[in-house]
Amino acid sequence: MAITLDAGIPSGPIAGKWDRHKFEMKLVNPANKRKHTIIVVGTGLAGASAASSLGELGYNVLSFCIQDSPRRAHSIAAQGGINAAKNYQNDGDSVYRLFYDTVKGGDYRSREANVYRLAQLSVNIIDQCVAQGVPFAREYGGLLANRSFGGAQVSRTFYARGQTGQQLLLGAYQSLMRQVHNRSVRLFPRREMLDLVVIDGKARGIVVRNLTTGEIERYAADAVILATGGYGTAYYLSTNAVNSNVTAAWRAHKRGALFANPCYTQIHPTCIPVSGEHQSKLTLMSESLRNDGRVWVPKKQGDKRPPDQIPEAERDYYLERKYPSFGNLVPRDVASRNAKQAADEGRGVGESGLAVYLDFKDAIARVGADTIKEKYGNLFQMYQKITDEDPYKVPMRIYPAIHYTMGGLWVDYNLMSTVPGLHVAGEANFSDHGANRLGASALMQGLADGYFVIPYTIGHYIASNPLPKVTTEHEAFKEAADSAQKQISALLAVKGTKTIRQIHRALGAVLWDDVGMARTEASLQRALAAIPQLREDFWHNVSVPGTPDNLNQSLEYAGRVADYLEFAELLALDALQRRESCGGHFREESQTPDGEALRDDEHYSYVAAWEFKGVGRPPELHKEPLEFDEVHLTQRSYK
Amino acid sequence: MRLKLRIWRQTGPTAAGRLEDYSADDVSPDMSFLEMLDVVNEGLIRQGKDAIAFDSDCREGICGMCSLMVNGVAHGPDRGTTVCQLHMRRFKDGDTVTIEPWRARGFPVVKDLVVDRSAFDRIIAAGGFVSVNCGGAQDGNNLPISKEVADHAMDSAACIGCGACVAACKNASAHLFISAKISHLALLPQGEVERYSRVVAMINQADAEGFGSCSNEGECEAVCPKEIPISNIARMTREYAKAVFGAR
Amino acid sequence: MASSRLRVFDSTVGTKILIGVTGLALFVYLLIHVAGNLLVFLGPDFFNKYAYTLEGNALLPVIEIGLLLVFLLHVYKTVKNFLRNQQARPVRYERKSYAGRPSRKSLASSTMIFSGLWLLVFIVIHVKAFRYGTEYAWPAGGRDLYRLEMENFQNPLMVAFYVLSMLVVGSHLWHGVSSGFQSLGADKPGWTQVLLPAGKGIAVLITAAFIVIALWAHFAGAR
Ligand SMILES: Cc1cc2nc3c(=O)[nH]c(=O)nc-3n(C[C@H](O)[C@H](O)[C@H](O)COP(=O)(O)OP(=O)(O)OC[C@H]3O[C@@H](n4cnc5c(N)ncnc54)[C@H](O)[C@@H]3O)c2cc1C
Ligand code: HEM
Ligand code: HEM
Ligand code: SF4
Ligand code: F3S
Ligand code: FES
Repeated sequence: MAITLDAGIPSGPIAGKWDRHKFEMKLVNPANKRKHTIIVVGTGLAGASAASSLGELGYNVLSFCIQDSPRRAHSIAAQGGINAAKNYQNDGDSVYRLFYDTVKGGDYRSREANVYRLAQLSVNIIDQCVAQGVPFAREYGGLLANRSFGGAQVSRTFYARGQTGQQLLLGAYQSLMRQVHNRSVRLFPRREMLDLVVIDGKARGIVVRNLTTGEIERYAADAVILATGGYGTAYYLSTNAVNSNVTAAWRAHKRGALFANPCYTQIHPTCIPVSGEHQSKLTLMSESLRNDGRVWVPKKQGDKRPPDQIPEAERDYYLERKYPSFGNLVPRDVASRNAKQAADEGRGVGESGLAVYLDFKDAIARVGADTIKEKYGNLFQMYQKITDEDPYKVPMRIYPAIHYTMGGLWVDYNLMSTVPGLHVAGEANFSDHGANRLGASALMQGLADGYFVIPYTIGHYIASNPLPKVTTEHEAFKEAADSAQKQISALLAVKGTKTIRQIHRALGAVLWDDVGMARTEASLQRALAAIPQLREDFWHNVSVPGTPDNLNQSLEYAGRVADYLEFAELLALDALQRRESCGGHFREESQTPDGEALRDDEHYSYVAAWEFKGVGRPPELHKEPLEFDEVHLTQRSYK
Repeated sequence: MRLKLRIWRQTGPTAAGRLEDYSADDVSPDMSFLEMLDVVNEGLIRQGKDAIAFDSDCREGICGMCSLMVNGVAHGPDRGTTVCQLHMRRFKDGDTVTIEPWRARGFPVVKDLVVDRSAFDRIIAAGGFVSVNCGGAQDGNNLPISKEVADHAMDSAACIGCGACVAACKNASAHLFISAKISHLALLPQGEVERYSRVVAMINQADAEGFGSCSNEGECEAVCPKEIPISNIARMTREYAKAVFGAR
Repeated sequence: MASSRLRVFDSTVGTKILIGVTGLALFVYLLIHVAGNLLVFLGPDFFNKYAYTLEGNALLPVIEIGLLLVFLLHVYKTVKNFLRNQQARPVRYERKSYAGRPSRKSLASSTMIFSGLWLLVFIVIHVKAFRYGTEYAWPAGGRDLYRLEMENFQNPLMVAFYVLSMLVVGSHLWHGVSSGFQSLGADKPGWTQVLLPAGKGIAVLITAAFIVIALWAHFAGAR
């Protein structure tokens, strides 16, 4: 099958593209919407907002999630905030500037038209959320408050204490529950999507495992939306929730959806360091801390003195030194790589040497402990809970961790994948962040996709395609259900001696060491050799206890790890193929003399979209060239 | 350190459950409580035994998924802390730790320590929202809200829907949970229009789910990971009284 | 309409309001009652005259019936509510502990139904002994309640029963007074800090006063 990647970007000037496209898209007769069933997998910001909006429009929506309630999707954990080009602060922000910053921040590896639309819609998101009762932070005058956030020189980030994701998600969740009450949305919690059902070339349903009864259930629809989040937990340790997975996206990939830019992973610079092998996940300390905290390590190698005994002159505030104009506020990838470098040089702090200091001493001296407490009180408290150290007195120890994945299923301008009818929203798609995502932009993208893009483009798809009725008795459903069942039986049949976690941890180590913050030809080859071995090991030696016919968390976990063991290979392969550094993807072979990421626009200005060809068989690479009409490509510099 | 664990095992919703003894050797004080259980499960899996089922997702105290009764206290001994954020340095070598699921008619046990909290979703569906459709909202700054009110609403909106309040209450009452949502929306102008219908609908739903009533014991507030005070329950009573007796 | 209004009192919050209102009404009665009974220290003349004046009030029967209704309503609602709350947790915890501050849980709060039922029994006995006790005439008019009281408290067993019952009253009010206000929605930051200790203080005072009366009547009345 020859695949042509047509993003379907509307013609005309960038500022008018979306409006024009909205006008040109077909509409579904209101009376007919009820007759169309739409499946939405995932209830994070993207999924909940899409499902509730589609319900409001009158479609018959089926909403699925893994957790016991849609309110618990991983989006709930986002702390820092959400960007919007409101220019309430009159500091020179605009739709164009947000667009520009996002394209630049993504190191010129995103589609201009998508990003422009995102910046335009950002404004509506805030209005919508305020109307829902999201308690955003306010100024004393009663107006919405903003702060500046990693990598931006304007204050455009809206927030609700350190719980922005929670409040935005609860807003979307409440809207969703209102539709459940109105019977336009039906909820299917504790369900895990195990396969996509494609009939006559179109996505027509899904197969899920009911996690409480173990039953394999089939659901048919006219269109399917995946909003299943990112694949950061491939690395075992990440800031993502422990149930995050690539399963839904991966199985859709196996059914024909191309996977784009899997090597674009983001490492967050301010996480609490690992404390031991028992560690199950890493905790993020909001990036906003870098507004007041100063990052440093000792100048001397192996300096194990406690921080307060290291005199000022023997400290290296390396971000301030290297990047005088951005200082501690350089983008995430730059901050992360510099921390790794310090650790690699033997100047890391803490027991493991895998940490750097984030020091608030000067900020406390400047504005007082009370102000710091007001700003970051709950973060400090969280840090203390986990580490048993008081950050008002001792500098925090931080280290980078996997946090976000820019890559995802390839989608066109309508957020539709290469499988017609399969739409992908939120972190699960690859669309808007290029090779690096700016802080506070994921929430924006999830909600833009769900509230303002999908509701239109789904209608267009339904109105412009004949969708003969299908039932779950169709051969394709049976085949998908059988294959899901087969995998479950296979997992339970291995009966080996290794635990799933043990193998997942090993996979994580491979990815972190060799496909992590800095990648080389050799390290990637190493990973590509190691991953198939781990996969073998898994399928021969894993132990999955219990039975398939009830709640079996080991079985769920095993299925996710099995997919990661396949997916990881693609991740490494994509990183190998891209012999340039850009954003979160840093190839040591491609750097400027002073160690900055060096792009190769001539050869790599494309989206790498991979087609599945079978497990262990090389996937086929398709390229969508990226064209830049608005933004002038420059080497990023935060000096 | 070494701990003796007594953990509730129950194979399914209708099965009878009981406490079983386990031992956790080699517990590091830096572990979180759930990581300690992970390690116990690793041991069980190696022996081919069914792992202990318990819920968790974010493991940083915000999703509300984790839900364990630790030594008779919901979310364990630390105030304002979910059990996923509870660390083992809180325990001593040789301690016996009893772990049970949330218990309430409204939260039937699914397996072991996992319960079904969908009743909370149905309570929100009954009225815990502002009825605005997507699209066409006015500019966010057209509706100034004083910082004080916004902060106050945020205090209540912080509820993570974990259900610890129900678990701790001798009456298995959901009043703290409902009142947090009622307060969040009643304090804000956006919630004004549906203010009274909301409180009645949500309370009726909670009653239908089989949760008990409130006797003002305040155990809920003490275990609530977001430290939501029971003054919210009092506010809910006022809202309810205005709704059913008020001249409207 | 009327029936839907009434159904409001079946809801958990409506129930709570009703228990709060009736509980506080009974509490107010008890305040008046203890105040009235303290007059016993002023001697038979004063005490009997006071009782006589009260009894002369035409409204008294109405108030008494009202009080009875309030009492019955309180009993009905609290018992029914207790049963509903029991059903809300069909399987008990193997281990359940006090959650620590700021929980208001106490022995008193955990035993409201038992202290209440004890009071039910006490009140039946008490009303039989006093309201329907021997009708000694008092020369200046009305009953000689003073004498009745002194006689009733001659029996040490009776005194013991009263002292115990008064402790039970105290326990019921220890949680009940502040709880009643909370049930009516009265909880504002500053107010609650006062209310909680004040409720307990009043509970102690009422208990102490009644106990003193009973003991004094026993010892002083013997002379
Ligand atoms: C700690 C942390 C802090 C962050 N802070 C910020 C921030 O301040 N600002 C910002 O903009 N971004 C932030 N991000 C990023 C942002 O939170 C996420 O990118 C975003 O929330 C993703 O939303 P989503 O809707 O795409 O997916 P998610 O919220 O991840 O939701 C995924 C949904 O899919 C469901 N699902 C997954 N797999 C399956 C399956 N197989 N079957 C059925 N259902 C499935 C899940 O149950 C869930 O409902 C942060 C991320 C982390 C980890
Ligand atoms: C003169 C006698 C009594 C007085 C002054 C009194 C007073 C009160 C008060 C003030 C409350 C608190 C109300 C609230 O929390 O809303 C209360 C609660 C209660 N009373 Fe009484 N009461 C009396 C008799 C009884 C009797 C006879 C019973 C018998 C069943 C009873 C059972 C209860 C119970 C169970 C509660 C707790 C209600 C709850 O859990 O919410 N009381 N009482
Ligand atoms: C030492 C303690 C007490 C003494 C000396 C005392 C004394 C009396 C007396 C003298 C009467 C008769 C009044 C009359 O017939 O007009 C009376 C009635 C009554 N007492 Fe008490 N009392 C005491 C405690 C209590 C307590 C604790 C309660 C409630 C919990 C209570 C409830 C009542 C009631 C309900 C009546 C009947 C009122 C009426 O019918 O009007 N008493 N008491
Ligand atoms: S009120 Fe507190 S304890 Fe209850 S559900 Fe909300 S966060 Fe959990
Ligand atoms: S513990 Fe229960 S009794 Fe009320 S104050 Fe909390 S709901
Ligand atoms: S696991 Fe999310 S709150 Fe504990």
